[in-house]
Amino acid sequence: MTLPTDQHTEGKKNVTFRVFRFNPQVDSKPYFDDYTIPVERGITVLRSLNYIKEHIDGSVSFRAFCQAGICGSCSMRVNGLSQLACTTQVWDVLAKSREPGIIKVEPLRNLPLIKDLIVDMDPLVGKMVHYSNWIDSTMPEAQMGKKEFLISEEEFLRYDKATDCILCASCVSECSILRANKEYVSPAVLLKSYRMSVDSRDSMHEQRMAELVKDHGVWDCTHCYRCQESCVKSIPIMDAIHGLREDAIESRGKNDTSGSKHAEAFMTDIEKKGKLIEATLPIRTNGVVWTLQNLLPMAMKMIMKRRTPLPPPLVKSVKGIKIFRTMFREMTEHVKQDQKSHKK
Amino acid sequence: MKPFDIVIVGGGGAGLYAAMEAMKTNPALNIAVLSKVYPNRSHTSAAQGGANAALGNKAKDDTVEMHIFDTIKGSDYLADQDAVDVLCSEAPKIIRELENMGTPWSRLEDNTIAQRPFGGAGRPRCCYCSDKTGHTILQTLYEQCLRKGVIFFNEYFALNLSVSGSCSNGLIAMNMKTGKVEAFPAKTVILATGGYAKMYWNRSSNAAGNTGDGQAIAYRAGIPMKDMEFVQFHPTGLRKSGLLVTEGARGEGGYLLNKDGERFMARYAPEKMELGPRDLVSRSLETEILQGRGFDSPAGKYLHLDLTHLGADLIKSRLPQIREMSMNFEGVDPIEEPIPVRPTAHYSMGGIDTDNQTRTIMDGVYAAGECGCVSVHGANRLGGNSLLDILVFGRIAGRTAAEEAGKFRPGTISEAELNEQLQEVRGGMQASGRYERYGELREELGQTLALNVGIFRESSLLQKGIEDIAELKERFKKVRIFDTSDVFNTNLMQVLELKNMLDLAETVAAGAFAREESRGSHTRIDFPVRDDAKWHKHTLTTLVNGKVTLGEKPVTMGRYELQERTY
Ligand SMILES: Cc1cc2nc3c(=O)[nH]c(=O)nc-3n(C[C@H](O)[C@H](O)[C@H](O)COP(=O)(O)OP(=O)(O)OC[C@H]3O[C@@H](n4cnc5c(N)ncnc54)[C@H](O)[C@@H]3O)c2cc1C
Ligand code: SF4
Ligand code: SF4
Ligand code: FES
Repeated sequence: MTLPTDQHTEGKKNVTFRVFRFNPQVDSKPYFDDYTIPVERGITVLRSLNYIKEHIDGSVSFRAFCQAGICGSCSMRVNGLSQLACTTQVWDVLAKSREPGIIKVEPLRNLPLIKDLIVDMDPLVGKMVHYSNWIDSTMPEAQMGKKEFLISEEEFLRYDKATDCILCASCVSECSILRANKEYVSPAVLLKSYRMSVDSRDSMHEQRMAELVKDHGVWDCTHCYRCQESCVKSIPIMDAIHGLREDAIESRGKNDTSGSKHAEAFMTDIEKKGKLIEATLPIRTNGVVWTLQNLLPMAMKMIMKRRTPLPPPLVKSVKGIKIFRTMFREMTEHVKQDQKSHKK
Repeated sequence: MKPFDIVIVGGGGAGLYAAMEAMKTNPALNIAVLSKVYPNRSHTSAAQGGANAALGNKAKDDTVEMHIFDTIKGSDYLADQDAVDVLCSEAPKIIRELENMGTPWSRLEDNTIAQRPFGGAGRPRCCYCSDKTGHTILQTLYEQCLRKGVIFFNEYFALNLSVSGSCSNGLIAMNMKTGKVEAFPAKTVILATGGYAKMYWNRSSNAAGNTGDGQAIAYRAGIPMKDMEFVQFHPTGLRKSGLLVTEGARGEGGYLLNKDGERFMARYAPEKMELGPRDLVSRSLETEILQGRGFDSPAGKYLHLDLTHLGADLIKSRLPQIREMSMNFEGVDPIEEPIPVRPTAHYSMGGIDTDNQTRTIMDGVYAAGECGCVSVHGANRLGGNSLLDILVFGRIAGRTAAEEAGKFRPGTISEAELNEQLQEVRGGMQASGRYERYGELREELGQTLALNVGIFRESSLLQKGIEDIAELKERFKKVRIFDTSDVFNTNLMQVLELKNMLDLAETVAAGAFAREESRGSHTRIDFPVRDDAKWHKHTLTTLVNGKVTLGEKPVTMGRYELQERTY
C-alpha cells in the first residue's frame, strides 16, 4: 500500500521511519521499531506517521491536532532535531539524513516521557504558572469592557513576535541547561515572561521579576542560542532573554543576585582583557567556597566528557587591548546614555 | 471524586470564557474544565481573520444595529433575531474586555483596536491581531484562567452524560494518561466542544479532533440538535488535507483555473470573478469538478489556484503564510506552480439546541460555542462572527450555570455505570474474525458526505448518503482497536471520535433530506429556491428509541422582515 499520489508524480522513495517506542505498562526500556513505506514529494512526517498508524501498527502513539502548524501538539525530534511533524517534509529531511533512507523519530527531550512520542507537558504549564505568565491588568475587573487602553504600534511590535509562540516545547527540548537542571525556567517561559513584562497593561512586573532572578531563573541561561535556532516560529527568543536581563539589572540593581554580578564580572573581564577569564568567573560571581563545592565537580565531569576545554589558568590580554578598552568604555557610556534617554 | 458545581467540557474560547465568568459570578463554586487536548491547542487557535464588533474605530459611522442587520441577512433570515441582538450588542464590550485583559490586538494610527473589512459586513468591523487572532484570544483566556486558578483536567476525553430520567448526574470521561474511566458528578455541565465539520474528514479545514463529541454526547442523552444540515464550505481547501488557503490569495489577484486552463469564474460571476461570495465560489468550483473539468488524482479531483503570474516578490512579501502552507502540505511552491485546491467543509452552523441563555432542554445541561446553536448564524455564518459567538455565549453559559447551579443537586454516578462504559469503550479490542479498520471507515464517511451531503444536494444523493452512513454504522460494530494499552491510547480515542461523527452524520443527512428548499449553505438542486412558506423554521433532530426523529422550532423574528438575500 502506498500513500495517495499525484497524477504527475516524480516517483516515490522508500523511507524507513525508525520510531522510538516505549509503553510504560510493558516495556522496561525504550527501543526502536522500523517501518518502511513509499513516500512521494509533498508528504509530511506527520502524514507518514498517520499512515503507519492506520495501516501498519495502530499502537504507535503520538499527538496531533490541527495538522497545520498552529496548535503545537505534534512536536517531536526528527533526525535529532525538535520540530513540528506536521510541517516537516519527508523529502527535505531525507536530503539531509546521515543514514540514507532512514528517518529517526523520537520524543522531545527535557520533559517526562509518557509513551512512544508523547511527553508530559504539565511541568511546562507548572512553570508558566510559577512565573506568572499572564497579564495582571492595571484595570480593576469591575471596570473592564468599558474602554480600551490606547496602545501604540510601537508597543504592539515589542511583543508581537513573542505572541507567535504556540507552546510546542521544541525549544524546551533543545535547551542545554534543561538537560542538566529540570527546574530551569525554560526558554518558552522566559519568552512569555518577557512578553508580559513589556506590556503596559500589566501590573505585576516586580513580582514576576523577583521570581525570575532567583535560582533556575533568567541568569541560568548560557546563551547557547539553541532555543532560538530550533524555534518553529522563528521567534528571536534570545532578544527576550537579553531584554529580561537588562530589565533585571535596571530594576533591581547590579548586585542583586549572582546572575547580575556575573554579568558585571563578565563586563569587567572584557574591559580588562578583551576576553573572558572563564576559570575565575564563577569565583568572582559566587565566592570561592561555593565554586569549590558546586562547580568544580561538574566542571571536571564536563572536561572528562570533552564538553569543555580546560580553561587556561592565566589569561593573557588579547592584542590591541588598549584600543579595545577605549572602544569598550565608549560603548558602555553610549549604552548608558541611551538607556537614560529611553527612560525619559 | 467530590461533586462539582460546574463541569465545563472544552478548553476552547467558549469553554475558557465560561470558566472565567463562572468564577467571577460566584468565586465559591467548585468548577472544573475538561479538555481532550491542552486548552491552548484548541481549534480556536486556527481562526486567523478576526472577530466582529461595531467599535466604530475604523468606520466612525458603524453601529450595533448595522451589525445586527448584516448578521440576520447573512443567516438568510434563519437566525433568531433576539439572539442576534444579544450577540451584536455585547460585541464591543467583550472585545474591549479581552483587550483590557491583555489580548494583543493590532492597532490603528490613533492607538485604538484595528479593524478590517470582512465578507458580508457593511463596515470594516473585524477586530484582528495580524493573522493570528484566534490564537492570541485563546492565549489570553488560557493565561487568565491559569491566573485565576481554574482547575483543569487536561487530556481527559468526555464519553457521555450520566442521566437519570430527564436529569443529568454529571459527566463520564476517560483520563487519557491512565485509560481510567472517571466520574464527574456535577450540578451543571456546560458542553463547549467545538464544531463537527471534521466529519467530512480530508475535505475539511478543521483540526482532527473537531468531531462533534459534545453534540454526540447530548444527542445520545436525548437532547435535540438544531439545524444540523447547515455546514459552511470554503472554496479553497488544499487538495490532500482540506486545510485552508485563505481568501487573501484571491484578494491579491490569484486565478482559479480548470484543467483546460480556463478562468472559469467568468461563467458564474463575470464581474466579481474570483472575489464573489464564499458560497457562490464554492458552488462554482464544485460545478467545474462535477462537469468533468477538474484535474484527477488519487487524492480526489481538484482545480488550480494560480498565483504564478503575481511574481516571486509579491508572493513572498504579501502571501508568505500561504506559500509556506502550500509547500508544507502539498509540496508545491506557488511561485512556480499553481496550488491544487477544492472546496472544504469549514464551519458547522448547527449544534445543540439551546435558548438565549444557552440552556438545553435537560436541566443543568448547557451548550455554547460552535458546539451549541442558539441560533445566531442561521443558514450561513458571517466570517468573524463565530469567534464573537464563542466569547459572548461562552460568557453567558458561565454566568447562567453559576447562577443556576444552586437549583440542582449533583447526582451520583455508580461504579457499575463506569464499568459498563469502560467495557463498551474497550469492546473493539476483543474483535475477532473479520474486522474493520477505523481509518477506512473514517475516509469513506468523509467521501460519502462530500459527495452526497456536500455542496450540492438532491433527493437521490441524500438517500444514498443516508444509506451509506447506516452501512458504515453497521460496519463500525466490527471495528478493531489495535492498541490494547491503557496509557495514552490514541487509537482508542480516534475510534471513539469516529463513533461520534457517525452518530452525528445521521442528523446532518436527515436534516438535509427533509429540508426541501435552498437556503444559505444548504443547496438543493431539486429545490433551488428559498421557500419561506414551508421552511422558514429550524430543524430539530432528536434520538428517539435509537432512531433520528425530525422536529421543528419557529424562528424568532424581530425588527427585520423576510427579504431576498442578494449582494
Ligand atoms: C481554519 C479556520 C479559520 C477560522 N477563522 C475564523 C475567523 O477568522 N473568525 C471567526 O470568527 N471564526 C473563525 N473560525 C471559526 C472559529 O475558529 C470556531 O468556530 C471557534 O474557534 C470554535 O470555538 P469553540 O470554543 O466553540 O471550540 P474549539 O476551540 O474547537 O474548542 C473545543 C474544545 O473542546 C474540547 N473537546 C472536544 N471534544 C472533547 C471531548 N470529547 N472531551 C473533552 N474535551 C473535548 C477540545 O479539547 C477543545 O478544547 C475559523 C475556523 C477554522 C477551522
Ligand atoms: S540560550 Fe539559554 S534558554 Fe536558550 S537553549 Fe541555551 S541555555 Fe536554554
Ligand atoms: S518559543 Fe518557539 S519553539 Fe519554543 S515553544 Fe514557542 S513556538 Fe515552540
Ligand atoms: S498538529 Fe498542530 S502543530 Fe502539528
